[in-house]
Amino acid sequence: MSVVVAHPRRARRRLEHRLLGVVRSPRFARWSSWVAFLVVWQLSIPLLPTLLLPTPAEVGEFMWDEIRGDTVAPQTVYEAFGVSLVRLSIGLAIAFAIGIPIGLLMGLSKKATWFGHDFVVVGLAMPSLVWALIAAMWFGFGNTAPLVTVVLAAVMFVVINIAEGVRNVPKDLLDMGTAYDVERRDVIRHVVFPSLMPFFFAALRYALANAWKGLVLAELFASTNGAGWMIKFWYDAHRAQGIIGYALFFILFALLIERLVFGRLSARVFRWRPQAGALPRPEPVTAKGGN
Amino acid sequence: MSAPVATAPSHAPAQESAARTQARARARAERRDRWIWRVAGYVTFLAIWQITSSFLVEDFILPPPADIADEIGAIVSSNQFVTHFSATVKNIAIGFSIAFVLGTVIGIAMGRSRWWEAFLSDWVMLTLTTPGLVFALVCAMVFGLGALGPIAAVVITSVSYVAVNVVEGVKAAPKDLGDMARAFRVPWHRSLRHILLPFLAPFFFTAARYGFSVSWKIATLMEVIVGTKGIGFMMRSEFQEFNMAGFLAWVLLFFAFALFLERGILQRQMRRFYRWRPEVSR
Repeated sequence: MSVVVAHPRRARRRLEHRLLGVVRSPRFARWSSWVAFLVVWQLSIPLLPTLLLPTPAEVGEFMWDEIRGDTVAPQTVYEAFGVSLVRLSIGLAIAFAIGIPIGLLMGLSKKATWFGHDFVVVGLAMPSLVWALIAAMWFGFGNTAPLVTVVLAAVMFVVINIAEGVRNVPKDLLDMGTAYDVERRDVIRHVVFPSLMPFFFAALRYALANAWKGLVLAELFASTNGAGWMIKFWYDAHRAQGIIGYALFFILFALLIERLVFGRLSARVFRWRPQAGALPRPEPVTAKGGN
Repeated sequence: MSAPVATAPSHAPAQESAARTQARARARAERRDRWIWRVAGYVTFLAIWQITSSFLVEDFILPPPADIADEIGAIVSSNQFVTHFSATVKNIAIGFSIAFVLGTVIGIAMGRSRWWEAFLSDWVMLTLTTPGLVFALVCAMVFGLGALGPIAAVVITSVSYVAVNVVEGVKAAPKDLGDMARAFRVPWHRSLRHILLPFLAPFFFTAARYGFSVSWKIATLMEVIVGTKGIGFMMRSEFQEFNMAGFLAWVLLFFAFALFLERGILQRQMRRFYRWRPEVSR
């Protein structure tokens, strides 16, 4: 008799258990965070002291219109990002062309490192805002100021990563090269270059990130097209759905680059390597035995 | 700055001391060379600058170094320096303190629980990758010209940097020490104080350094866009007047001040915090 009574209770408990399991799963957490964000956003708009902020629905509508190419702005989203992408790639190519020789020099020669180290550090720490404003003052409106900003914002990241990579080239292989009278050019080609690849990727990653930020600012101050200028267009038009919509386009764009350039490419090249970062990471405290 | 240590096996004390003297002499020579080359770098840089500005381009494109030094002197001696730097520093201090507390809480939650990690990781990643300009413009729109805008922008952008580093630290925290503390029934506040905090300290400092540099950038950017005072505001007004010398003077002051805060205050704190470590020479 008791079995008949206990059965539905057990079934209910099993259901509860399963529900709890769903609620506790990371996947549920991820989805609920997005839902919670949208709900909070939608509900908090009437509470904020401004009338300028859009609801998620308005932003979605704006983005959909933009994606279909139906816009009141002088440029569609494709044209804007296309212009920026062209500037970004040309600028990065120039930055690498300048940065790699300097980086090689600084990696190979201690004196060159001492000579230039402080300037590299300053260049790394310089906010891309400053580069953008300087380039804007120098070159005015047009294509040159954004391009120069990209080069200036990216080049030091290339230099420092390439130099670091050269310093991390396996010393024993170099010694062997000298012992067997391998020509300097061949050493660079066959020893230095392969071990440089992860640092090259790190350079690309940081240079790209910083150059992109600088480019957006340069377009804002000294250009009449491009993705950065479009954000300013919507800001000047007091249409916050434009700003937030473009912010989301930026994120999509960054994700696309991340997935395509780094995810695919570096996964293929560096399957054997756990990590390819070159930023200084905190050293974990290892209590070494002995003295 | 690690001086080369003589590692040759020593047979006689005399030989050992000779090797040590030699090593010391070599280290001294290297240090001297380093300074010579470094100074040469600065001299070359200044010379190129001077030559460019006096022979190649107009002064308003690249003013000679002396002009900028004059501007810096004028800014420092007048009250401007104090007014604008204190405005910016105040925003950063308030914003970054909030971000640090918030980021620590988020980081510990994410490091301890898979659920919270899944809940928050998308947002942390998104705020890390979005250009600061976007946040600056949105904050400018929401808060207008008030003081709240820069603070909100600083919080939003730097909180993820703190969180990411704290997560790394919490995840890497030694399990065995925690287990031992539990086995010996150490109260949680003491295990927090003596196990987790000392372990997390380097991660906190990294977080502080990254978050701090990000805060600087976003605060000045915010002031460039909507500020009524502060370093960024002065940069913008010099920019609008096409006064390159004034602009560069403010940039240099900005750098000097940031460097002073980082080197003078943060790193000194760091050294004080690491007193307990046996082999810290840096």
